[in-house]
Amino acid sequence: MWPIIFLKSSIGKKWVMACTGLCLIFFLFSHAAGNATLFYSTSLFQSYADQLHSHPLIVSLFSKGLFAVFAIHIITGILLFLQNRKARPQKYKVHKRAFKNSIASRTMIYSGLFILLFAVIHTAAVSFGDHGVIAHTVSTMFSSFVLSMFYIVAFVVLALHISHGLWSMLQTFGVNHPRYTWIIHKITYAVPLFFLLLFGAIPFLFLFGSGN
Amino acid sequence: MSEIDISLEIWRQKDSLASGVFETYSLQRISTDMSFLEMLDVLNEQLTREGKDPVAFDHDCREGICGMCGAVVNGIAHGPEPETTLCQLHMRHFKSGDTIVIEPFRSRVFLPIKDLMVDRSGFDRIIQAGGYVSVNTGGTPDANAIPVPSTTAELAMDAAACIGCGACVASCPNGAAMLFTGAKIAQLSLLPQGQQERKERALSMVAAMDNEGFGNCTNERECETVCPKGISIRNIARMNSEYFKASFFS
Repeated sequence: MWPIIFLKSSIGKKWVMACTGLCLIFFLFSHAAGNATLFYSTSLFQSYADQLHSHPLIVSLFSKGLFAVFAIHIITGILLFLQNRKARPQKYKVHKRAFKNSIASRTMIYSGLFILLFAVIHTAAVSFGDHGVIAHTVSTMFSSFVLSMFYIVAFVVLALHISHGLWSMLQTFGVNHPRYTWIIHKITYAVPLFFLLLFGAIPFLFLFGSGN
Repeated sequence: MSEIDISLEIWRQKDSLASGVFETYSLQRISTDMSFLEMLDVLNEQLTREGKDPVAFDHDCREGICGMCGAVVNGIAHGPEPETTLCQLHMRHFKSGDTIVIEPFRSRVFLPIKDLMVDRSGFDRIIQAGGYVSVNTGGTPDANAIPVPSTTAELAMDAAACIGCGACVASCPNGAAMLFTGAKIAQLSLLPQGQQERKERALSMVAAMDNEGFGNCTNERECETVCPKGISIRNIARMNSEYFKASFFS
């Protein structure tokens, strides 16, 4: 069966990583759009959340789909990591990287696992907070300096993960041509930076008391 | 002509079953005009005179075109000079007093044979799976009988420059052979002669690559950085797209 052969192949797994990664980036854009209401007021954010939860079927389908995509992305990533470790069983005595500036690519599995940890903590924090009043939960959460710092570190890690992930995704889709190099270069910096600035500004908003 | 004194730490392994160790050797008055392999020849003459086993290493043309030589020198496949095979690396790039660590290409697929020699027949099996054109070409055709745009011809030639040395696999943290496989798939997919078997080739070569047990590319770009022929990872992107199209539309 060709779909199974494709999915079991090395390139098929890369396509799975790329497609699920793209879905997760779309999710982040929608999440960012919702969170952006906080910059106006917490009451607007609350009404956005209430409006969203007034469609339980959509929320339920969307969250289940998101969970599935996230799980596939993580499981495939771990599978690839384990396969890759097996392919290079013996280390070199002198270990030198020929290509510079590849911190993001080197740490994809670790940044990914950190994002998973963050996602679990974040989901637990917003789910078990002040039920129904999300604006209050957010405000309480970010009044804690330690938790705010954890969020900011997580956003930095997320930006690092996306910067390499986005580039890898385009490479997997076969989008790598001198004609597009400049735009690919800009996108792989602009998108993670956008998420870092937008999400990262929220804890600061509450820490410095301008969140209302 | 200047001369340098160097110290070598070389991986010695009696055969594929034996466990290897690093051994240290000193070489005096090595001409900086020597190639790296000539320096190893001098070491081997010294070892032979001492009644010791010379260091086994692969080599053939010593002109940087055959792809036979290759070792990891101070952590970099083919040594510190960009786009240079080990045989074309010269001792002028080292200083007197340097310690040079020489290791074989390491990968689960490249099994050790002896010392610095490894079995790279996994590459041959990938090529056997589809890295050829099996159309009957008849007599010598006119060079311009099939028009190919110059940019396409250049891209195909860039990919065809791969000498199959295995440095890409050796340098890849995942032991992936995607630069090698991608280069051949890209080369033949760009040229008119490669069109008939284009989809079949992508499917077979990727399957052969996976069967060998090579790792998966995570786009760390180590391969293209150490490649002595400067093969770009754009060829991997082309292979990804070729494989997708072949899987879904053939």
